[in-house]
Amino acid sequence: MSGFEPVLLRNVGVEGVRTLKVSESRGGWAAARKALTTMTPDEIVEEVRRSGLRGRGGAGFPTGVKWSFLPKDRKHTVLCVNFDESEPGTFNNRYLAEHDPHLVLEGILIAAYATRADLAYIYLRAEYHELFHILQRALDEAYAAGWFGADILGTGYRLECHIHRGAGAYVCGEETGLIESLEGKRGWPRIKPPYPAVRGAFGRPTVVNNVETLACLPAIIERGAEWFASIGTPGSTGPKLYTVSGPVNRPGCFEAPLGLTVRELIEGDDFAGGMAGGRKVKAVIPGGLSVGILTADELDCRLDFTDVLNYGLLGLGTAGAIVIGDDADMRKVLANTARFYAHESCGQCTHCREGTGWMARIAERIAAGAGRIADLDLIVELCGRMGMMSGMSICGLPDGAAYPIRLIVEKFRGELEEAIGRQPPGYTERYIRDRIPSVYALPVLQAGAAPARERAVPA
Amino acid sequence: MATIIIDGREIRCRDGINVLQAALEAGFDVPHYCYHPGLSVVASCRLCLMEMKMPDPRTNEPQWSPRLVPSCQTPVRDGLEVRFDSEKVRANQRSVMEYYLVNHPLDCPVCDKAGECYLQDYSYRFGQAASRVVDPKHKNPKKDIGPRTLLYQDRCVLCSRCVRFTQEVSGTSELCLVDRGHRAEIDVFPGRPLDNPLQGNVVDICPVGSLLDKSFLFKQRVWYLRTAASICRGCSTGCAIRVDHHEDRVYRLRPRWNPGVNDWWICDRGRFGWDFIRAPDRIVSPQICRGGEAGRVDWSSLPTMIRLRIEQVVRRHGPTSVAAILSPEMACEEAWLLGTFLRGLAPGAPLARGPVFVEGQEERFPVGCAPGQERFIIRPEPHPNRRGVEAVIEGLGGESADLEEILGRAAGGAIRALWVVGGYPRPDWPDQALLAAAEKLELLVVQDMLPGALTRRAHILLPFCAWLEREGTFMNHAGLLQPFEQAVQPPEEALPDGQYLWALAGHAGLYRAARVREMMAAGLPGFDRPHVPPEEPEHAH
Repeated sequence: MSGFEPVLLRNVGVEGVRTLKVSESRGGWAAARKALTTMTPDEIVEEVRRSGLRGRGGAGFPTGVKWSFLPKDRKHTVLCVNFDESEPGTFNNRYLAEHDPHLVLEGILIAAYATRADLAYIYLRAEYHELFHILQRALDEAYAAGWFGADILGTGYRLECHIHRGAGAYVCGEETGLIESLEGKRGWPRIKPPYPAVRGAFGRPTVVNNVETLACLPAIIERGAEWFASIGTPGSTGPKLYTVSGPVNRPGCFEAPLGLTVRELIEGDDFAGGMAGGRKVKAVIPGGLSVGILTADELDCRLDFTDVLNYGLLGLGTAGAIVIGDDADMRKVLANTARFYAHESCGQCTHCREGTGWMARIAERIAAGAGRIADLDLIVELCGRMGMMSGMSICGLPDGAAYPIRLIVEKFRGELEEAIGRQPPGYTERYIRDRIPSVYALPVLQAGAAPARERAVPA
Repeated sequence: MATIIIDGREIRCRDGINVLQAALEAGFDVPHYCYHPGLSVVASCRLCLMEMKMPDPRTNEPQWSPRLVPSCQTPVRDGLEVRFDSEKVRANQRSVMEYYLVNHPLDCPVCDKAGECYLQDYSYRFGQAASRVVDPKHKNPKKDIGPRTLLYQDRCVLCSRCVRFTQEVSGTSELCLVDRGHRAEIDVFPGRPLDNPLQGNVVDICPVGSLLDKSFLFKQRVWYLRTAASICRGCSTGCAIRVDHHEDRVYRLRPRWNPGVNDWWICDRGRFGWDFIRAPDRIVSPQICRGGEAGRVDWSSLPTMIRLRIEQVVRRHGPTSVAAILSPEMACEEAWLLGTFLRGLAPGAPLARGPVFVEGQEERFPVGCAPGQERFIIRPEPHPNRRGVEAVIEGLGGESADLEEILGRAAGGAIRALWVVGGYPRPDWPDQALLAAAEKLELLVVQDMLPGALTRRAHILLPFCAWLEREGTFMNHAGLLQPFEQAVQPPEEALPDGQYLWALAGHAGLYRAARVREMMAAGLPGFDRPHVPPEEPEHAH
């Protein structure tokens, strides 16, 4: 990707950039100064709206539009920075904040000023112990330099910023789950309406933004919305951090304009540098686990907000790619995927609570070599009932569970069926009966697929 | 008043309610677990989902929304169109019901809830017969969560009603949810058992057999139980209750919906405080003391005997020498029958209301709520009908006196015959002043339930039946007159008070409280129209 100059990762590798002094010498905090001293909050919102910046946390909601949902007559506004980064295979926020914490803090200040927030919480993933100290040191330094606290830059604007550490739940990355957790409650997503913009954290209007989204703001303020909108593809503007993990030569975090193809990401010399050990790509989970899976034939999928939909994926997600080599067993991929959601389902909605657990048990049985062809149909049917139709549950977790599980079964059905075909005859029946003898007498073992009337909810 | 359209049927509904409540009130059998009208909405069970016409964000034209909408979470608004009878809705119900049984142990044969369990009912109505689960079930544990309640977590549907009840109604927050996904459990905090004066309600609102009452555990299959509508006698609040009984044995009391009085709840004092009716030494037959020896008499000869004895006193000492002390445990009809009977023989007979005890302090729930925000109040007056008895005494006119005055006159010899109604199931009844006054009497008639110092002094002793064995009306602290049915027959030999007072007053046939109320209405306007709480919608729970 020649000609592209990193925006978010420009300070990676610069010695001492975690300190305010070095950060400022590299142009850090200049955009915040410009925003606070020369622009009104509404001008910033308009600028961000024109830049076409869309949320980097997964859903891709336009940031400027999100901010405009806040009630006009609000008194106190809370900005929640979603640093829960719990999507499997995703570590771009961590990479960014570890290398350039001041960029993140600057973005927080700009966003808080634009939304007239007087309170900002960084909801930090529980597992990021080291990062917590890095961020806290940077925050202390910024406080000491007057970037947070009362009367910032003499403008009379006041902002308090706190780092709140989570307790290790995937569902707390969902914005209302995050707010509940922040309030000290059990991290159960809330029913909407009211939306957080109207009544969020502690009953106040609240904006929840992803770290990477906020890190884009200084560049937009400094160089303008037109410059930002010129990067990327139509509808998907700006630079994006991509992470790659799996059996590649150079796993890591890379920056590129939106619209990078999966093939470039895996094979490009600037990126992952090809597969390690002579492996071939069997599958790629391109944007965090929840978006779904691509086969080796679908590597030309462009990673922006629109092209992924052509491949049946849920969305761009976090652009945290997990590469699966040709030596992997898709049954284990399926089992691992299903187990994750069964472990992380919050337990509120019935579909998700029971469905994820049931699918995980089926998938683990298939992985243990005791699958049935009917199980594959059953999994697809359960996915169809659970997610696929957003709004059937309180939050998006069941949709995020249904996409990868269904796509693994659908796109790799041949391989799964072949594996089931290789099982010794009668093994499945023995396996099941050993575990629950009462099943012996039930007709379920003899039955093939589900009866016709039990089919999935029609769309 | 909004009008919504469910399956093409126009339904007029109260403002401010949600679609589910409107549908239930219109008689639709909408399955639901997490929704309870007395608790906040969490919309988590996903059973009440319906198709709805929502305004299109672009054109603002109402369009059938592609997704199903939780009806418990959608407020009614004029003209809203809803489809409940549709394949999409049924498919969702089927799939959710299947999910509920994925980890359920299906132990209905040993489950107390079987027969009144909404997991059974909904599985039968909305679910499917065969299970497709061949994998081992996740078995959550069984827990002892409090002195009166057990939690069978494996049967739980995680509707979180019980948790919300302790947070929103009792305000004690003993229950919480721990862990995630299908491993999620209801639990109590270490060292903090579920032990508050309203805790029994969590068993009632549990739609499945997860929360069970230890005192009812394995006692009776619910399909044998018959139910009577009664009023609690625990305090002056006057909560409406249901009495579940079988073959003249009471098994449990449950709350009956009574908006504005007790809503959906009752307290544990009322729920469990009826053990005294099973006391082995209860007075069951009328006894007359002749020459220092108490002997049983026949019910049929009793009216004549009592009449003669009272007439004798009146002849000797005048009509004001007879008095009665009416207990706040009596029903209004009984007090009226007794009062009119005595006044018929001795027109000037003074009537007094019996002693009123105080038990503890007023308890308001949720605990620590601001005044005016109470959702439930347990009152310190442990009698159901103080106001009713006072109203009857006042309505009868003539001389009413307070208790001390009557006892003073009895001690002074002005009152020679005293009719004392007890029925207090408490050890501090009767007090010394009453016992001292009783010594001087020519005739002491005592109506009481349990033997004691007063009943031993009685010249005529009559059984006082528990309120579950009688019918009548109680007037609560706010003057609300509420009828209660007879749930069970009194112990063998005994007659309900109303029945023998009816006979004593010279009436033939069976005592019917409603008929007495009609007779009362002449002097006590409104007594023929007691307050009967509305029925809950058939499919609401």
